[in-house]
Amino acid sequence: MNYVINRVIYLLAVFVIAVSGIFVLVNNMPGDPAYGLAVSIAQQRNMQIEQALEIARSMMGIDPDESLLTRYGKFMSNLLKGNLGYSAFYNTSVNDIISKSLPWTIFVISLATLLSFVVGIFLGALAAQKRGTVIEWIISTVSSIIQAIPPFILAVLILFVFSVTLRLLPLGGAYPVDVEPSFSFEFIYKMFLHALGPMLATAIPQMASWTLAMRGNTSQVMEEDFIRFAEIRGLRDSVIAKKYIRNNAVLPLVASLAIGVGYMLGGHTLVESIFNYPGIGFYFGKAIAVRDFGLLTGLFTLIVIGVIAATFIADFVYSLIDPRVKLK
Amino acid sequence: MTKESLTNFYHDYIHPLFRNKKSLIGLIILLMYILMATVGASVVPLNMNSNFAERYQKPSLKHPFGTDYFGVDIFQQIVHGSRAVISLTLLASFLAVLIGTIVGVARGYLEGIAGKIIDVIIMVFLVIPSFPALLILSAIFMDKDLNVLQIALLVAIWLWAPLAKQISAQVLSIKTRDFIEASKILNMPLRYILFNDIVKLLIPYIFINFVMQIKGAMEFSVGLMFLGLAKFDPTHWGIMLNYALYQAGALYTTQGFHYLFFVILNIVLLIYGGILLSQGIEEIFNPRVRGNE
Repeated sequence: MNYVINRVIYLLAVFVIAVSGIFVLVNNMPGDPAYGLAVSIAQQRNMQIEQALEIARSMMGIDPDESLLTRYGKFMSNLLKGNLGYSAFYNTSVNDIISKSLPWTIFVISLATLLSFVVGIFLGALAAQKRGTVIEWIISTVSSIIQAIPPFILAVLILFVFSVTLRLLPLGGAYPVDVEPSFSFEFIYKMFLHALGPMLATAIPQMASWTLAMRGNTSQVMEEDFIRFAEIRGLRDSVIAKKYIRNNAVLPLVASLAIGVGYMLGGHTLVESIFNYPGIGFYFGKAIAVRDFGLLTGLFTLIVIGVIAATFIADFVYSLIDPRVKLK
Repeated sequence: MTKESLTNFYHDYIHPLFRNKKSLIGLIILLMYILMATVGASVVPLNMNSNFAERYQKPSLKHPFGTDYFGVDIFQQIVHGSRAVISLTLLASFLAVLIGTIVGVARGYLEGIAGKIIDVIIMVFLVIPSFPALLILSAIFMDKDLNVLQIALLVAIWLWAPLAKQISAQVLSIKTRDFIEASKILNMPLRYILFNDIVKLLIPYIFINFVMQIKGAMEFSVGLMFLGLAKFDPTHWGIMLNYALYQAGALYTTQGFHYLFFVILNIVLLIYGGILLSQGIEEIFNPRVRGNE
């Protein structure tokens, strides 16, 4: 129990410092946070931008003379109430945007994680057991080449090949604009089709790293004494491969699964922007472009919460599945 | 360094690199690009003048990689861009490894409250999503004319933390070994224990990580240039990638496909060289991961 309390205090300190750092960084970006809203007001009401800026500032509750410290205080007290701030550009609360966009991101990330983990474990174990054969060479070489492709370039390539050239996948969005969301078969099918591009762009690099990690772990486990002993005992090869080797090699990977999901939240920005997929990464890219400081800080905070929660979960999962690890 | 220690260094660290297939190929690829950046850039001329009569030419003897939408030779741009790409990538990797090693050794060695504080700092950099944070930080400095070292530092700030965490774990396990106790009892100065006992043991590990950082440093710097968030050499491959995609509209016409293709090919091949070299080094120093020979 002492361990848990220590850990919570530690992670809380990390959270407060990380979020404060982000707040300072974002608020030092050049550009006027009220500018985005002012432009849309000026367009709607047909007025001068200076006038619109004043209206925008008063609507957003921004006092241009307010010090950074006062704004920081407001941000923190809002955060305590579970309010992640206000988006100037979309003229709504950050919580609203998150509840609209986070489900799409989670949908894509969980599909990508599931696919990449299952395929990666299978290919990695296969490569290690077929050591020295063509199969191993192909699996490791292809995985290494995939790792050399930066994820956003892969996203561009997928968009180019499947959406532009072959026209198999849609060019953007989470579902067609002319279809009402429903539980009909057609809608669900279209939804999967729209998620496929960002999903592949996220899953393929992940798959390569799971494959290489699993191959490494499997070859290490295969050298252990208890495997030799199992062979001497005359157990069937298939039993040894599944129960003795695979299960032991997967253990450390299951723990990093949670952390991987946390990091994917942050790494999804460019992929969603390239596919115009309306998840949190898309709004993040938009927020940078229009200098929406409130939205940026709120989304950063959300991702940091996600990563910290994932780290915490990973520690617990590891102690649950591996009896040798005791929480200190 | 004496002659003998140089020979030993060659025998222990350099010679095995030539005998492992992966590290040899990786070294050849990296050397090829280093040659391109040093010799190539001074031999190959760069003519950035637009020549509309020759736009979107397919690869030929005259234009090995073809020409872009202004009729400028792509090969020349790749060669000259390699200078910016290589210097930025190597500098950023070096800085990331330097910061990661110093912070990691300090965290592993220090006890009590100082160690805890460093631990929290490392963790802060681990939980902040690095690429988005890099984008914000670069936007802050976007109006300033930054030199290579400054941009490399911006990139390195978001790369060092995972390395520092791993190094601190290594130092923690080395610290409990007998010879460190012996040095302490002999009242050796802290400097001696840190550099002669601890860092020396970590050298192969640090070297692998330097090569592995190439991937991250390339991805980050190309991504940064691609988004146009840092002013730099117009032939940097990230900026070329941006032009190939958006200015030339390679996404919408098949005409400009070779432009996009050659830029991506060079980015991927350079990173692949780094990955192969690091895989090779890992096999040499950690024989258990060795695959087929």
